[in-house]
Amino acid sequence: MRKQLFRRGITAAAIIAGLAGFSAAQAQETYKIGYITDLSGPLAGSYTPTWEGFELYIKALNDRGGINGKKVDVILDDDGLKADRAVAAAKKQTERDQVVGIFGLSLSSTQGPVYAEMRKAGVPVVSTFSGIGDALPPAQPFSYSTGIVFEIAGDAIGELGQAIKKGGKVVGMTIDSVGGRAALAHNKKAVEAAGGTWDEVIFPVATTDFTPFAQAAAEKKPDVIVGHYGSGQNLGVIPALRRSGYNGPYVVASYGVTEDTIRQAAQRAGSGENIYYVTRYSSSFDKNPSVGEVAAAQKKYGTSKPFSSMHVTGWALGKFTEAALKGCGWPCTREKLDQTIQTLKVDMGGLTGGPIEMSATDHYGPTYWRLYIWDAKDNVMEPKGNWIKKGSQGFK
Amino acid sequence: MARAGTNLRTSYIEANEVLRRPYQKLLIAFIVAFALLLPAGSSDYFLHLINSCFLAGMGALGLMILTGFCGQISLGHAAFLAIGAFTTVILTVHLKMPFIIVVPVAAVSGAVIGFIVGLPSLRFRGVYLAISTLAMHYAIIFLCTTYQARFAASASAGITIADPVIGPFRLRGEFAWYYVLLTLLTVVTVGCVNLVRTRPGRAWMAIRDRDIAAEALGINLTRYKLAAFMLSATLASVSGSLAAYHSNVVTVEGYTLDLAVIYVAMIIVGGMGSILGALLVATFITLLPYGIDWTFEFLPRVWRFGSTVFGVQVGAVGVCIILFLLLEPKGLAEIWRRIETYFDRWPFRYRPLDTSRR
Amino acid sequence: MEFIATVVILTCTYALLAAGIVILYKAGRVVNFAHGEIAIVGGYVFYSSGLMVGDSLWFAILGAVAFSVVMGAFIYAAMMRRVVGEPFYVAILITVGIAIVLKSAIIVVWRAEQVTIDVGVAPAVRLAGGATLSYMDLASIVLTVVFFLALYLFFTFTRSGVQFRGTAENPLLASQRGVNVNFVLSRAWIIAVSAATLSGVLYGGRAFLGTASVTIGLAGLTAALVGGLDSLRGAVVGAFIVALAQYLTVRLIDSVLSEALPFLILLVVMSIRPWGLFGTVEELDRV
Repeated sequence: MRKQLFRRGITAAAIIAGLAGFSAAQAQETYKIGYITDLSGPLAGSYTPTWEGFELYIKALNDRGGINGKKVDVILDDDGLKADRAVAAAKKQTERDQVVGIFGLSLSSTQGPVYAEMRKAGVPVVSTFSGIGDALPPAQPFSYSTGIVFEIAGDAIGELGQAIKKGGKVVGMTIDSVGGRAALAHNKKAVEAAGGTWDEVIFPVATTDFTPFAQAAAEKKPDVIVGHYGSGQNLGVIPALRRSGYNGPYVVASYGVTEDTIRQAAQRAGSGENIYYVTRYSSSFDKNPSVGEVAAAQKKYGTSKPFSSMHVTGWALGKFTEAALKGCGWPCTREKLDQTIQTLKVDMGGLTGGPIEMSATDHYGPTYWRLYIWDAKDNVMEPKGNWIKKGSQGFK
Repeated sequence: MARAGTNLRTSYIEANEVLRRPYQKLLIAFIVAFALLLPAGSSDYFLHLINSCFLAGMGALGLMILTGFCGQISLGHAAFLAIGAFTTVILTVHLKMPFIIVVPVAAVSGAVIGFIVGLPSLRFRGVYLAISTLAMHYAIIFLCTTYQARFAASASAGITIADPVIGPFRLRGEFAWYYVLLTLLTVVTVGCVNLVRTRPGRAWMAIRDRDIAAEALGINLTRYKLAAFMLSATLASVSGSLAAYHSNVVTVEGYTLDLAVIYVAMIIVGGMGSILGALLVATFITLLPYGIDWTFEFLPRVWRFGSTVFGVQVGAVGVCIILFLLLEPKGLAEIWRRIETYFDRWPFRYRPLDTSRR
Repeated sequence: MEFIATVVILTCTYALLAAGIVILYKAGRVVNFAHGEIAIVGGYVFYSSGLMVGDSLWFAILGAVAFSVVMGAFIYAAMMRRVVGEPFYVAILITVGIAIVLKSAIIVVWRAEQVTIDVGVAPAVRLAGGATLSYMDLASIVLTVVFFLALYLFFTFTRSGVQFRGTAENPLLASQRGVNVNFVLSRAWIIAVSAATLSGVLYGGRAFLGTASVTIGLAGLTAALVGGLDSLRGAVVGAFIVALAQYLTVRLIDSVLSEALPFLILLVVMSIRPWGLFGTVEELDRV
């Protein structure tokens, strides 16, 4: 009986698979681009909002009529945070879907292989959220990034940390990952260059209880603590720090940490005082009109995740992409798109402190960073000080 | 030689025959021809998937021998793959060794690590053995992470290695890799099939079924258990090394405990003690996410963009494992055997008396 | 003072997780690799049930209890019962399959959002040196103690508890004496899932729930193995050893080593005494 049931089941499955036909042909003329990111893996919570921001921009763009009347078609694929799936998705998108460019990407460790494969195929790839050294000068061909490169982030945070307490003792915390360590190394350099002292606490990626590490950090009697990790860790570390008796300034380095996470962490810590936030793209609470555009789009089309600076990041990539496709013209080929991106200088409005600029050798450009402080009374982010500019030289 | 019916064996030679029935020989010939000609009509993407299956298959064969034939549950598979990949990295980046030397050295380093990881098997069995291999996994991955943090050029991105060069040829592109991997996999498969149907295979199966009795029969447990571990680690190491060359980038993040657990589940679902099962299941697990992606393409656009559907892929593997274990614990290979036997015995339903049917 | 408090809380966390694993092993010789996932999903269910009726604690508890009963009974009846005669690895792999399915459930049903359980997070006790303990921290300690006490009373004094111990020792004999082995085992699963859910809820209150949190299962498994897979006493002792060692490693040696440390301890214990410190000396063959 069991045997029969199973055999029938297999036959049914085979028939269903066999019945699958061919995908519907895309009759209209559209710009086809690909987006690969982590939508189901362990960090989906950070990458999904970035994708949603990008999607919002493209939806708004298509509603405006697209680029010179031609809409933009985005092929979305999930890489589950695995490098080989990202590469396979990239190959599929370039061969079967015939995309002219690939955007998004996820964890830095998945980016290297995708860049390498797409370099062979001659397809430009623009990563957002985070970036790796391939985009830094002297840049590898076809490899671009509008995201956060750990080394530069560490440096920027080191500098901005001085605005909180000049020349003080800074303790950096991170997870034991290659990116985290890189960020700490540069944070340390910046702090010591500004005359401060540095110490660090590194904990395992799979930590279940942050209390011992928070206590270790608090014991070092720092003036400022900086955390280089994602949402989950911040949710655990911030309350643990406060419980250990450290009530001083804590800086959240925005690697996919949303404002909502900070709100939750502040709530659990009992007080939201002294929590700072460093980010490359404006916080979603920022009052400038560009961010307002994103908020409006979010209200209009809706997103599954609460509005955050990650959506702003995705939107910024959307703006960049529009400029690239527009410059590419019609028909747009991969070489043309690649050439176009290298000449881009896209005005971001208030989305970040200045324009995103690319060049033939520099596929990352100067970046702008800002310090925010969390206002626990109104549950908003307030900017503290102005944007600082960081070049891309000297980090490789 | 006249054969006394399909179910009776009258000599040891017949019992050891790999291709017993005429149709099998035809099938093999057909498969070989198909495999050689496949790349002609295939896209780069498709070949990329096939190559991934080949790489997975090589590792799965090793694990099948260790777990499926010898019965030692080992969670060290991901660690062995990592050893192969990182040995490759160290040799190509620091010592600038060529492909021809690196792969054998990776095999040797795999054997050494396999020996070490296999040592607890002399003392433990079952779950306790699995747990000790789990501990080894963490130790090895810790070492690899430390290496990557210390030596990788752009720390966050992993380590890049160049395409392998054999003589005047640069091995690049899915097409070339297809033939290389096909050859290697064929050699390894034939080797494993032979190992399994001769003395080592019988010794391993005896150990799997009842190792105390095996020892009483004179089988040296130490030798065979360690041999199984070393073989599994060697094959996995070679697979990891080739995978590193194939994708040109190595990062330690991909070698998770989940991977090792899935591989072991693969082996059980594929059927303990079946070479074919190992290959089938390696293919299945490698292609499953893409297969689900492909079926999703037929859903309306709107549904696809919801990130929740991607979570289904993750769950599908789990559901498959559970279903197989509940309905057919002997795995895919058993299903295949049943189909085979059905046609073999037709129009009879049951086994004739007095057979040595496997 | 802070040191003692942290170690105690860590011990309680691990002990509760280990208890769930020990109960299942005692009952059916199954090592549950899905314990962490069950704990986290239980936590999510608690969180969502509470939200459904507008932040109600009682409804959350109700939801968690319902989840425990349904999930425990379902896992046993639909899956574990069918693989009774099969080799040991079949049951273990089914738990692996369950773990994968539950993980995907977090992604599909709760969209992999990292949530926290915000009950009782206010600081409750002030310790010397400025550290504070929240109500949730205190609850972790109290609830763990209560749970263990309840288990002890259950196993020693109640009829079903005695039946459980009998079934654990010799299922065949117990069934011949009229014990409904199926009921006993499904009850064991329900208790284990409840322990897991409680762990998940407490963990969600002290840290966060997300797809990455499922690793707590491994910590519990290690503690159980160190103490002995079939000994509840061992679960507490094992948890204490692991918690203490981890804490000391972080503070005195190197924080990164603390991930590998439980496994190092495990290797040491297993080389000396494979059945764990309090485990019954058994033929490793049966496992």
